[in-house]
Amino acid sequence: MPDPTPQVSLTIDGRPVTVPKGTLIVEAAKLIGVEIPVFCYHHKLDPVGACRLCLVELSPGPPRAQTACTTPVAEGMAVRVTSPMAVKSRADILEFELTNHPLDCPVCDKGGECPLQDFTYRHGYPVSRVQEARLHFAKPLPISDRIALDRERCVLCYRCTRYYDEVAWEQELTTNQRGVQSYIATQFDQPLQSVFSGNIIDLCPVGALTSRVWRFQSRPWDMDHTASICSRCAVGCNVNLWERRGELMRVTARENDEIDDGWICDRGRFEYTHVNSPERLTQPLVQRRPAAWEGALSRIAAGIKGRGPRLGVSIPADITNEEAFLLARLLNGPLRGARVVMQGRTSLPAPPLNQLAIKDLDGCHTILVVASDVRADAPIVNLRVKKAVAKSGARLLTVNPELIDFDRHPGVEHVAYEPGHAAAAVRKLFDHPLLQQGPVGILYGDSAGSEDGAAIATAVAWLAKEIGAKVMPLYRATNERGVLAFGILNGDSLDGCEYVLTWGQALAVPKGVRFLACWDDFARPYHDRAQVVIPATTFAEDQGSYTNLEGRVQFLVPPLQPRPPLRQGWEVLQDLGLALGLASDYLGIFQVQRDAAAAYPAQAALAVPPAPAPTAAPVAMGAARP
Amino acid sequence: MPAATELRGSHGKAAGPVLTKDFGTADLHKLGVYEKVGGYQAWRKALTTMQPAEVTGEVKASGLRGRGGAGFPTGTKWGFLPPPDGGPRYVVVNADESEPGTAKDRYLMENHPHQLVEGILIACYAIQAHHAWIYIRGEYDLQHDMIAAAIAEARAAGYLGEQPLGKDFPIDIHLYRGHGAYICGEETALLESLEGKRAQPRSRPPFPAVKGAWGRPTLLNNVETLSTLPWIISNGGAAYAKFGTEKSPGTRLFTVSGDVQRPGNYEMELGKPFSHLINDLAGGPFPGHSIKVWWPGGCSAPVLTGEMLETPSDMESLAAVGSMGGSGGVIVADDRRCVVRCAYRLLQFYAHESCGKCTPCRVGGDWAVRTYERVLEGEGTAADLATFDRIQTGLAAGRCLCGLGDSAGWVIQWTMERFRDEYEEHILHHTCSVEAGARA
Repeated sequence: MPDPTPQVSLTIDGRPVTVPKGTLIVEAAKLIGVEIPVFCYHHKLDPVGACRLCLVELSPGPPRAQTACTTPVAEGMAVRVTSPMAVKSRADILEFELTNHPLDCPVCDKGGECPLQDFTYRHGYPVSRVQEARLHFAKPLPISDRIALDRERCVLCYRCTRYYDEVAWEQELTTNQRGVQSYIATQFDQPLQSVFSGNIIDLCPVGALTSRVWRFQSRPWDMDHTASICSRCAVGCNVNLWERRGELMRVTARENDEIDDGWICDRGRFEYTHVNSPERLTQPLVQRRPAAWEGALSRIAAGIKGRGPRLGVSIPADITNEEAFLLARLLNGPLRGARVVMQGRTSLPAPPLNQLAIKDLDGCHTILVVASDVRADAPIVNLRVKKAVAKSGARLLTVNPELIDFDRHPGVEHVAYEPGHAAAAVRKLFDHPLLQQGPVGILYGDSAGSEDGAAIATAVAWLAKEIGAKVMPLYRATNERGVLAFGILNGDSLDGCEYVLTWGQALAVPKGVRFLACWDDFARPYHDRAQVVIPATTFAEDQGSYTNLEGRVQFLVPPLQPRPPLRQGWEVLQDLGLALGLASDYLGIFQVQRDAAAAYPAQAALAVPPAPAPTAAPVAMGAARP
Repeated sequence: MPAATELRGSHGKAAGPVLTKDFGTADLHKLGVYEKVGGYQAWRKALTTMQPAEVTGEVKASGLRGRGGAGFPTGTKWGFLPPPDGGPRYVVVNADESEPGTAKDRYLMENHPHQLVEGILIACYAIQAHHAWIYIRGEYDLQHDMIAAAIAEARAAGYLGEQPLGKDFPIDIHLYRGHGAYICGEETALLESLEGKRAQPRSRPPFPAVKGAWGRPTLLNNVETLSTLPWIISNGGAAYAKFGTEKSPGTRLFTVSGDVQRPGNYEMELGKPFSHLINDLAGGPFPGHSIKVWWPGGCSAPVLTGEMLETPSDMESLAAVGSMGGSGGVIVADDRRCVVRCAYRLLQFYAHESCGKCTPCRVGGDWAVRTYERVLEGEGTAADLATFDRIQTGLAAGRCLCGLGDSAGWVIQWTMERFRDEYEEHILHHTCSVEAGARA
């Protein structure tokens, strides 16, 4: 361990605080609940000092207000946030910000959670003295299918363009013109393509960048939200799920520095509207006629019981650990011998022991990425690798048939191989100069299914042992790692199965099956051939947990109640077990979790209740307005 | 290669003691002529007989202060660079002269390019840089060509290149044409532009001396500052310090423009009063008129009135009357000019040239322009005096990212301070006796 960073003591409005050397004043103030308003500053972006809203008075210091977002603390410094000079400086800046702002708060989606509103109330002048007409831009401007830009509301804090440059490494967002005519624009007016574009909505401190998916759907104060987990891939980004009147209204990022660093990808942010669809299946159907759950499940039980290897079961990518545990009980009993396939999974085998955690990427000397561009398999891990390279100086070595998006960054080394020969390419790397100094982290995928995942895993395990590296298999399906722990997967396709139970959208249902039951949230063409169709719940209604690609168990907190007759997955599986003759009396999901943890040591974390959500930080009190 | 046989850019003939001592010599821009008047002897002396620290010592002893606008002591600035660590470090020449009323760097570059090249070489040696970049204003076509030709001549003659004067100290000088914005002359915005990005100032610290071009230690100096170096090395810092005042030693090249009879560039010893520059060298006001208002160092330096012409030209005397040396561009306006309209025109400039990065400058300049427009159209109200004051304090007081906002604020502040009666006449009575008188 290096020596701890020296501590620095200072006072902020007379209140003492001690922080590590190098801390910015604005961060030190947060620790003791003093609000210094900011627009351009964001704790995940490099400070620029552009908006000038964080002006404070320093002593010792020049007789001018200084920006708290670019000034590090110093020993004995006295920061005055509420001195007359500081208060007036910030009020003047806010007045400038409002000079051309349209003040269309009543029709602005940001209204109610808008820093510009809040800061104006807390730090601004009570009346406007602007007599001149305001600047106008064409608005709103769609800059992608999912994001709208309102240039009139924009305060030009450049958080969005800086995020694109520093975090996402994409060249899609820029500033055009200069002076008061400056505006944010997409590069060559082309729509945004990045899978990371939605984060600019969370970053925007005003209503300039809004979600077109959520646009005009609800107001922030009308919604409740739960602290849940994204269900779209195996990274397990933390999200807030926002609910109003039984509908899922939007998904936003919930910062967890150990996993997502505050970012989520566009799949997680925007792929939620199906939850509210009127097309959702709600009713069990037997021979296409509405039926009660009991009748439907006993019909399924009769169709699948005791079929041995002639039964095929397709499970969804976002099956929870609890559901997988209950399914494993069936597969070890009445359904023994069945073939089980998982949608959207890789061909990677069960995880190795020398697991690399996502947060450990920050400390890697070299990161080796094999047979994946990471962006499609585990999007937010892609951003974490970029952060390690850009902020911590990690070296990056990519092993792929083609150049991938990392390779646009100077200094990234690329090793190409003939498609199909990834494992051989990995074995040749043991004397690569970049791998001679640790810590080394190896991320590996299966090239979207085109490589033999088992062979890559073996080669990576060998290389990791040779050079002392830690590894991270890039599983694609949300709970692939959790399901692997239950040991139930044993096939790639349902071909040859005569009796089939599909859960979620199946890859391909073989022709001429003798019995087909479908458990799904939407109707699919092959449901026409099903004897039984039962409705499924979604991540917004299901309790349960996912094991992410680094082995961390995280719990869903559904914001919605399943609308009867919809039932949660674990309840349906328990009743299916009963119909199959298996004794079961779980009254709630906690009992399922306890039993699963006891039976599968790899999933022991299921019995550990999630850490209570941190209580909301006390509202930081800022300066009185002038 | 354009011919430059005549001295361009000035009505004046008087050659000064330092920067313009050889002006008037035919074909001064040619290497052979420059060598005949002693050219590149300072470079030879520095490279072959002096240690880098001795060069810096001479510059410190001369007391030379930066001629770009801030007036920071040059030798001290050089001392801010960290010791060489084996990585690249750069000299960047600020030749993006765009301060209104200032054309002295242009005058030096088109008439005396070798003097600048020699100064750059000396600076490179002093801070142990092997690469220099000249960021030259995009509109300076002739000047660019003159400098490019001088660099080529000096390279061919072995003054720079792999082994200048046979010594193992490779130096190369690169020319980079500016991107056509006033803000490109601000040192950190210049570096951003040089790196190929939008020209917007960086937050300081870190200062360019520590983290400049491409994140490396960088020395940024103005053309005139560097052009002074050959004289200082040849004659010694102490000799230079004999000119001027104790704290503002040396001479300075002033550009006089506006309502004078012989506008042009004049080298004058610092400390001499501006009346000498304006009345004696530049011919004074036109007959029948008197000087009413003047800017001593480009429009970014706070204005002074006609009664203040006897102010000495050293930086301390200017600071004492609330102004500054600035860029050395002296703008003169006589009694026919409405100060409110002058301020309006300048604010148009600042609003147009604001890069838009920081809030006060982006919004404040434009707000001021719109308020001036309303006032000049005779629609001002008493509240506008407060509005001007409000905009001015929001812009100035060091609240902006760079000095552009301060300068814009000062225009409002000091024209109001010194000509409040004109403002009140416009705002309260909706008339302008100055312009009415000029028309009559």
